Amino acid sequence: MNGISRARVGAAVIAVTALALAGCGRGDGTEDGAAEPAAEVTEGAASGSIEVWAMGTEGEKLGDFAAAFVAENPDVEVNVTAVPWDAAHDKIATAIAGGTTPDVSMIGTTWMGEFAATGALDPTPDLIDPAGFFEGAWETTNVGGTNYGVPWYVETRVLYYRTDLIPEAPTDWAGLTAAAQSAMDAGATYGINLQPGQTGAWQTFMPFAWQAGAQLVNDDATEFTLDSPEMVAALTEYQSFFTDGLAPTDLPQGSLEPDFMAGKIASFISGPWHVGILKELDEAGMANVALTTLPAGENEASFIGGANLAVFEATDNRDAAWKFVQWLSQPEVQVAWYSEVSDLPSVSAAWDDPAIADDPYLGVFAKQLETAVAPPSIPTWEEVASVIDTELENLAKTGADPQEIATAIQQQAAAIGTGL
Amino acid sequence: MSAVAPVRSGARAPDRTAPAVPRRHPPLRRRRTWAAWGFALPFMALFLVFTAGPVLMSFAMAITDLRSSDLRNPLAVNFVGIDNFRAVLADPLFRKAAANTAYFVLVGVPLTIGLALAIAVLLNTGITRLTAFFRVGYYMPVVTSIVAVAVVWRFLLQPDTGLINEVLGWFGIAGPNWLADTHWAMPSLIAMATWRSIGTLIIIFLAGLQGVPVSLHEAAALDGATGWQRFRYITLPTVRPTILFGAVITGIGYLQFFEEPFVMTQGGPLNSTLSVSYYIYNQFGFGNYSYAAAMSYVLFIAIIVLTVLQFRLLGDRDPRPPRRRRAPATPVARQEVGR
Amino acid sequence: MTAPPTTPPTTPPTVRSAVRPRRAKERSIGEARPQVWTYIVLGLGLLVVASPFAWMVLSSLKSEGEIRRVPPTWLPEAPSLANFSDLFARLDFPQFFTNSAVVATAVTVGNLVFCSMLGYVLAKSEFGGRTWLFRLVLATLMIPGMVTLVPLFVLVANIGLVNTYWGLILPFLAGPFGVFLMRQFIQGIPDELIDAARMDGASELRVFLQVVMPLCKPALATLAILTFLGSWNNFLWPLVVATSEEKYTLPVALALYSVGQNQTEYGLLLAGAVVIVVPVLAVFLLLQRYFVQGIAMTGIK
Repeated sequence: MNGISRARVGAAVIAVTALALAGCGRGDGTEDGAAEPAAEVTEGAASGSIEVWAMGTEGEKLGDFAAAFVAENPDVEVNVTAVPWDAAHDKIATAIAGGTTPDVSMIGTTWMGEFAATGALDPTPDLIDPAGFFEGAWETTNVGGTNYGVPWYVETRVLYYRTDLIPEAPTDWAGLTAAAQSAMDAGATYGINLQPGQTGAWQTFMPFAWQAGAQLVNDDATEFTLDSPEMVAALTEYQSFFTDGLAPTDLPQGSLEPDFMAGKIASFISGPWHVGILKELDEAGMANVALTTLPAGENEASFIGGANLAVFEATDNRDAAWKFVQWLSQPEVQVAWYSEVSDLPSVSAAWDDPAIADDPYLGVFAKQLETAVAPPSIPTWEEVASVIDTELENLAKTGADPQEIATAIQQQAAAIGTGL
Repeated sequence: MSAVAPVRSGARAPDRTAPAVPRRHPPLRRRRTWAAWGFALPFMALFLVFTAGPVLMSFAMAITDLRSSDLRNPLAVNFVGIDNFRAVLADPLFRKAAANTAYFVLVGVPLTIGLALAIAVLLNTGITRLTAFFRVGYYMPVVTSIVAVAVVWRFLLQPDTGLINEVLGWFGIAGPNWLADTHWAMPSLIAMATWRSIGTLIIIFLAGLQGVPVSLHEAAALDGATGWQRFRYITLPTVRPTILFGAVITGIGYLQFFEEPFVMTQGGPLNSTLSVSYYIYNQFGFGNYSYAAAMSYVLFIAIIVLTVLQFRLLGDRDPRPPRRRRAPATPVARQEVGR
Repeated sequence: MTAPPTTPPTTPPTVRSAVRPRRAKERSIGEARPQVWTYIVLGLGLLVVASPFAWMVLSSLKSEGEIRRVPPTWLPEAPSLANFSDLFARLDFPQFFTNSAVVATAVTVGNLVFCSMLGYVLAKSEFGGRTWLFRLVLATLMIPGMVTLVPLFVLVANIGLVNTYWGLILPFLAGPFGVFLMRQFIQGIPDELIDAARMDGASELRVFLQVVMPLCKPALATLAILTFLGSWNNFLWPLVVATSEEKYTLPVALALYSVGQNQTEYGLLLAGAVVIVVPVLAVFLLLQRYFVQGIAMTGIK
C-alpha cells in the first residue's frame, strides 16, 4: 500500500467511527426509571414451544423431567438446552447482547441484579404467589423493587463438625470459640476452617455480619452501609479465629475434606454439597460428623444461595414460559425434582414431604433456611463482593484493624456504587 | 508441463531464458503483484470481517462508558474519550497486576526459550533412537487438561508432604509454603508455566532446526569445532527467525498469562499473583466492559512494545555475529579447501 | 573428497576452540558415549514433564473419593472404567465428537491454505506495503482475546451464523498465528530457489505449490498440530455460539457434566480429559515425522 491509499483507508476508518459515535449517547435516563407492572398471563393450558436453558445436572435432567408438564399441556413443546456452569454467565451476557436469548433460563442468584439491570428479564406476574417461597430466596428475585423470575432451588450454609472433637453443638459466638479451642486441646490441628479471603470468602463471612445485625445497604438499595458498628463487631469476631490460631490462613486447596475426615480440622462452614463429597471420601467416618445451624450472634442468620428461573423479556411465548415456571414451583414438582437431582426446594411446603423431612441431614438445612439472608440483588454485587474478599484476606492474613477494614470496604463499595 | 529446472551453481543453459517470454506476457512484476494480491485475498477478506471488525468495535467500547446493563442498547452510551485509560493507569491494583506480569515475562520468557531450545537441539541431534517417543512425551504438558496439571503441581508444591519440599529436606533446606507465600507464589507459577509451554516451543524449534544443513555441521566438525561452537555459529544464526517467532509467541502468551493464577491461586495470596489478564477477566465478569476494554488495550500496547523490542534484538539483519573476532577468511578457506 | 560446494552462510568458525565452559548438555555429534548422557538427561526431563499426564490417565480409573485424596495417589486401588461408562452413558458422544472433528479439521485445513498463501506473499513477494500488512496481522495476534468476544458474537448474530457450523469455523479461518509462523519459516528459504523458478517462467502459483510448499513440510506440520489442538480444545467460543446442544463441541459437552455450581465431579472431568486428548495425540503422532524431514539444502547456492 503506498502512502496515498494508506491515508485514504485511515480517513475511511475515522469517518466510520465518527458516524458510529454520532449515534451514541445516553438517553434521558428513562431506562432506569420505575419498572412497568408485569403484564398478566392468560388462563388455560400452555401452547406453542419454549426454549429453556439450564446449567449442569439440572440441564441434563430437566428435558426428561419436563415430560410431565407436556403431559398436562399437550399443545406445548419444551426444548431444554444444557449449558455448562463454566462461563454460563458469559453465555447469557453475550446472548443478551446479540439478541439470542431463550424463553426461560436458570440464573445464579448473585447474577440477578446484573441481568435485570439490562432490561432483558421479564417482571414476575401475579400468577406466581410469593408466599410459598422462603423469604430469603424470594428476596434474591427482587432488584430495585421489582421481582424477576422465581427461586428454583436453594442452598444455605451450616456448621459441619466432628462429634468426637466437639461433643456439643455450639449455639452462639462464644460457644463456637470455646468449641474450637477445646477441639484443639483434644488433638485437632485446627478448631475450625474459615475462608481467609479470596474468591467466595464473603459467603462464609456474611453470616457473621448478619448475625451481628448489620445491614449491607439502605432500604431502597441505593447506598451501601458497610461501615457500621455491627460490621466491625462481625469483622473482629471473624478475625479472632485467625489471630488466636484456631483457624488456618494457608490451607492448601483440596486439603479441607481429607483433613476434616482425618480429624485434623474439627469444623467448617459449608453448604449441602459437602455431604456427598465427605461420604465419597470416607463413608464410615460419617458416623463422627454432624451438622448444626450456624451459632447466633445477636440473632441467627446464614447465607442463602441457589438458582432462580427467569423469563426473558424478548420471549415469543410469554404465557407458556411463565406457566412452565409456575409448574416447576409447585410443591409436588419441587419434591419430585429433589429426588432427581438433590436440589433443595425453594418452596417451604415441599420440605414437609417425607422424602425430605426424614433425611438425617436435611433437617438442619430446613431450620437454617428460616433465618437465611440473601445479599442485595444489585447489579454491582459481584464487584463489591470481590472487594470484600480482598479486604477479608487483609483482615485474616495481615492482622489489620477491623474498623479500618470496614471503612476501606465502604469506601471502595461507595466508589463502585450499587448500580440502582 | 515444464518442470522447474534443477539449480546448479555456476553454469546455466543459456537457451533457458526464452526471449519470447516478456513479449507474450504482461510485465512480470505486475503479474506477480496481481498474484500476490490473489494469494492474500481469502485471508484478508475473512480477516477484515471477523477480526478487524470486532477489534474496531471493542476499541469503541473502550472509549465509551459501556456497562453490562447497556448490552441491549450498546449505542446508547456516552463517549468518554481517554477517561477509561486514565482510570486504568491510576488504578493501584492495575499497577500491581502490571508489575506481577512484568516479573512473570522477564523471567519466564528467557527461561522457557532457553530450555526449549536446549531440549530441541538435544532431540534433534543428540539422540538417534526413540525420537518419536521423546517428542510425544515432551508435548504431553500441552495436551494435558489444566485440572490434572493443577492437581499434580499442587501436590508438588505442598508445604508438608509435597515432593519439592521433601527433596529440599534431603539437603537440609526447609521449603516454604510455596503457593501461600507472597514471595514464592509467583516463582512457582513461572515454573509451572514454563513446564506447560516448552512442548509447543520444542516442536516449533524442531521445525526450524530442520533448516540447518547437516553438511555444514560435518564440515565444521572436521575442522575441530566443538559442539558449542557449531551450535553458536551454525545452528543459532539459521534458526534465528524461528527463535524470534518463538520469543514473540511466548512473550505474547506470557503477557496474557491467565490460567495459572486462575486455577492455582486465584490471584493471591494478597494479589501477588494477580495478572493483568486475570484482572481484565474479573472486570468483564463484573460487567465493566468499557473499563476492561481499555485495560485490554493498555495490555495490547505493552505487547506491541515487547514485540518490537524482540524484533530489534532477534530480527532480520546481517547474520554476522557482531562480537566475534573474525579470523581472516582466506587462510581459513585455504585450510578448508586446500588439500 | 571434493571441495564443499558452498561457502557457508556465516563466517566459518575459528579453528582454535575457544576457551569456553562446555555446558553439560552440549556434546559434539559423533561422540558415542555422551549419547547415553543425553538419553539420561532427556529421560529425567521426560519424567518430570509427562507425570501429570500419567496421573491424569491413571486417575480416570479411580473413584471420586480416591481422586480427592491428599497426597494424591498414583496407581488406582481398584481400577475401573466406571467413569468412562458413566460419561458415555450421559454424553451423546458421536454427535459431539463429529462436531469437534468437523470444526477442527475445517479450521486446520483453512489455516494451512490461507496462512501459507499469505505467509509466502509476505515473505517473498515484493509489493509495496507488505511490511505494513504483516505488522497489521501481527498486531491482531497481540490483542487480548477476551476483549473481542462480545463484539464478535454480536457480529456473528447479525450475520445469522449463530448455532451453525460456519459460525464455529469462520472466525478462526484467518489466524494471524499461522501467517506469522509461515512467514518466518518461508523467509528462511533461499531467494535463489524462488527466483530461479520464476525466471524459468513458472507462475506464482506454481512456484508456491511446487517449490515452496514441499520445503515447508515441517512448518506445515507444526501449524497443523497447533491449529488442530487450539481448535479442538476451544471452549468459550463454541459455548457462546451454540444455542442448542446438537452444535456443542466436545469440551463444552464435557464441562456440562463435570463442573457444578459449587463442586466438581473429578472422575468425569478426568475421564473426559483423557477422551478429549486421544484425537490430538493421534494427529500429533501422524504428523510428527514431518518435523524431521531433512531438507537437502546442499547444492543450493
